[in-house]
Amino acid sequence: MSAKHDRRRRDESTDPGEDAGRRRRRGVLLGAMAAGVAAALTAFFLLLPTPAADGQGDGAAEEAAPGRTAPDLPSGTFAVTGARVFDGERSLGTVDVLVEDGLVVAVGSADSPLRIAGDVPRVDGTGRTLLPGLIDSHVHAMGAGPEQALRFGVTTVMDMFADPEWAAALRAEQAAHGNPGAADVFSAGYLATVAGGHGTQFGLTVPTLDADTDADAWVAARVAEGSDFIKIVVEDGHTLGREMRTLGADQVAELARAARAHGVPSVAHVGSRAEAEMALAAGVDGLVHLFLDEAPDDALVAAAGPTGDGEGGREGFAFAVPTLTVLASVAGVGAGEGYAEDPRVADRLTRGQVAGLRRSFGIEAEGEMANAHAAVRRLAAAGVPILAGSDAPNPGTAHGASLHHELELLVAAGLSPSEALTAATAAPAAAFGLDDRGRIAPGRRADLVLVAGDPTADVTATRDLVAVWKAGLPADLAKPQEAEPEAAPVIEPGLVSDFEAGNEASLGIRHWAPSTDQRMGGQSTVDLDAIDGALRIRGEVRPGFPYPWAGAFLMTHNAQMEPADLSAVGAIAFRARGGETGGGASRVLRVMAFAPALGMTPGMRTVEVTGEWRRHEVPLADLGITDGQVSAFLIGSDVQPGPFELWIDDVELVAAEGAGGGRR
Amino acid sequence: MTAHDTTLTATPGPASTPTPATGAPRRSLAHLFALEWKYELLKTLRMPAYAIPTIAFPCLFYAFFGLAFGAGRGAGPTTMATYLLATYGAFGVIGTALFGFGVGVATERGQGWMLLKRATPMPPLAYFAAKTGTALAFSAVLVLALFALGGAFGGVALTTATWLALFATLVAGALPFCALGLALGYVCGPNSAPAIVNLFYLPASFASGLWIPVPALPGWLQESAPWLPPYHLGQLALAVIGVEPRTPVATSVAALAGWTVAGVVVALWAYRRDTGKTYG
Repeated sequence: MSAKHDRRRRDESTDPGEDAGRRRRRGVLLGAMAAGVAAALTAFFLLLPTPAADGQGDGAAEEAAPGRTAPDLPSGTFAVTGARVFDGERSLGTVDVLVEDGLVVAVGSADSPLRIAGDVPRVDGTGRTLLPGLIDSHVHAMGAGPEQALRFGVTTVMDMFADPEWAAALRAEQAAHGNPGAADVFSAGYLATVAGGHGTQFGLTVPTLDADTDADAWVAARVAEGSDFIKIVVEDGHTLGREMRTLGADQVAELARAARAHGVPSVAHVGSRAEAEMALAAGVDGLVHLFLDEAPDDALVAAAGPTGDGEGGREGFAFAVPTLTVLASVAGVGAGEGYAEDPRVADRLTRGQVAGLRRSFGIEAEGEMANAHAAVRRLAAAGVPILAGSDAPNPGTAHGASLHHELELLVAAGLSPSEALTAATAAPAAAFGLDDRGRIAPGRRADLVLVAGDPTADVTATRDLVAVWKAGLPADLAKPQEAEPEAAPVIEPGLVSDFEAGNEASLGIRHWAPSTDQRMGGQSTVDLDAIDGALRIRGEVRPGFPYPWAGAFLMTHNAQMEPADLSAVGAIAFRARGGETGGGASRVLRVMAFAPALGMTPGMRTVEVTGEWRRHEVPLADLGITDGQVSAFLIGSDVQPGPFELWIDDVELVAAEGAGGGRR
Repeated sequence: MTAHDTTLTATPGPASTPTPATGAPRRSLAHLFALEWKYELLKTLRMPAYAIPTIAFPCLFYAFFGLAFGAGRGAGPTTMATYLLATYGAFGVIGTALFGFGVGVATERGQGWMLLKRATPMPPLAYFAAKTGTALAFSAVLVLALFALGGAFGGVALTTATWLALFATLVAGALPFCALGLALGYVCGPNSAPAIVNLFYLPASFASGLWIPVPALPGWLQESAPWLPPYHLGQLALAVIGVEPRTPVATSVAALAGWTVAGVVVALWAYRRDTGKTYG
């Protein structure tokens, strides 16, 4: 305590000089400290990390553009020089084409070559051919179709059946931003068909027509929804081995007249020569399929001419979209699989598109391609404009790619390469009234396709795309990165379900789920209950969907219906008996298998069941499975309407090659 | 957070130096303020119970949420580490202010320190200025510590101007919370102050999007966030690093100004109420 006291005494010396000195020293010390702190702070702030010079900092970063435009091609204003030009109707020779702000403004000619300003970017077309952007006159565009089509140089597609709200949204997008990453879509919206007719089986509820429907009101409603044209279905199914109800000639004529009155074209889906003749005579503006079943006759050719009845009938020739690609696929002679391997298209096809090209309809229609080819030749010779359309994405086709395939098939049918090119450019533009595209001419959109080689000599040169512009914007021709698909799991033979603990199964998504045609607009019902170690499948089959079903559904791999590998399995076996509904009498049970190779239609087998438990074995081969790939099984009712009750138990997969062969 | 413990022996006496014999002039007002600040700083530094949690906790939280959890993640236009640097900076400076004032003032009131100080020639304002200055000094150190963590381990890279602007915004942003802390300190007693300050500080900071970004909060919390003062400091700090604020900058500045005024008003009212009491 005293030392502190002394120190304080010393500090409180009364000598003013010392006091001032101490203050000065303290002032200097404080100043030095302050300077030191300032220096340290400055150093600290200067040492804190700053973003790298190329701007990759942690501040607000820009998202990379999605890469829909090809960066090295000019856009908006440019010139294509030194290319052979096919303008949609004929070859112009080697001339230059000048594009300004997305429109073609000038096309040179031999006598008056273009003078192009020095600062306009040029694209060298030497050794190449410039075509108008291609138009696919028959597609089903819902989904990724328009994007896929653009990758193949198809800048406009005519969609034959879509949800009008989807189409309206797309139209708005096209009008607002031009939708540069996808082809432009013109759509029919809802198609015209009868209740239960072709077109009602695709899951969209369609306003159907019956004998009392006012055709004019129906067409007016479609136009109000935004339909760009009216699609009329005439299909009785007989060439496909089915029976379907369809519109009559009077209804078709009324619809065609109503469409004309409302200022939109009308087109007809037909399935046979007779239907084609009926539709043409009724006055539709065009057919969107030709036919396989019979050779064309004079009556057909005459019906395609002007109807000249002065009462709103067709004033000129009808047009025809043969869709040879899909006719070949339906006939079972489709070359889709081979086409998928053409190196000029192969690396732009997505995995889904390749699968689509390899898929078949699973039916063989009556007739032969020769009839379709003859129809193309005779109609073309009579003055009927032929349009190229692929009917993508039906089995055996792919958006965009199949239009090129169609050009090859049209030439095989007898058209010249130039006529085939016209069928994909100027002819559809004229037929559907698209005045701003389809030709390379001043004032039209710069929808342009530059290909290597000369398609007027070899039409398959269209597949060798160098560049594609849509309204002057270059398109990205590379397909997007796709994730690797999961390998199909290999399923070994064994017990699948004994239903001791509910609907459980040992494979795929692990449980049986109720499934009926209600998802396609039908009315059938089903309930599944695991009772006393067996599964009761009980419900009612009601008419509504053309191919009714109700039963227990098991996906073998995942909910995306990707297949599992069942090559080690030879048959599906189970014990079954009929239930009390129907008085315990024998009932019929159907087993179905779904597989990618079968497309939309499952393979099926019916099995008779009695009131007693019996074991059944159904070979996978009988269900149409040849490559071991199975996506799902369904065990359920037959097609006959009425209540049903079935019991199944001990579902198992039996090994292939007769190992453990079954008792029936 | 832990309670304060003011020890009278650690604190030297008030400022004036008796030198009547020499006739030397009295020390200036500025010197008084400076001295009070210096000793307030010294006192606080000698209280690890305040100094360490105030600086260490926000750094720890940032290390967990911003560096470990946020590694490689984005948050809006920037990285998680940068985003959380701004928000944990706000969280930290709010803590220094609320605890320095809220708990400090309440405790000192409870010990009768206010009475003693009122008896001295020290202007009352010097007391508050010193406390504010201390809070600002701790905030500055805390923010620099966070910057060091973020720059060294979080990959945070901002332009030098942005670093400086963020530093200034965060340290200045402690001021409204000094006022709020003051209000709390005058209203609460020394035993309840730590609990009440924590009860306000932690949930309010969480609900203001300072621990996890506002868009990650449930919808109803997102709606109520703008009513909380920490939210506005967080938004201002985020605006500095380039994150589009959810409410306009002017609104946040006005809100913080409003809360400052409210805090001062409540403190004044409580101060008046305190007169004549030894324990609040």
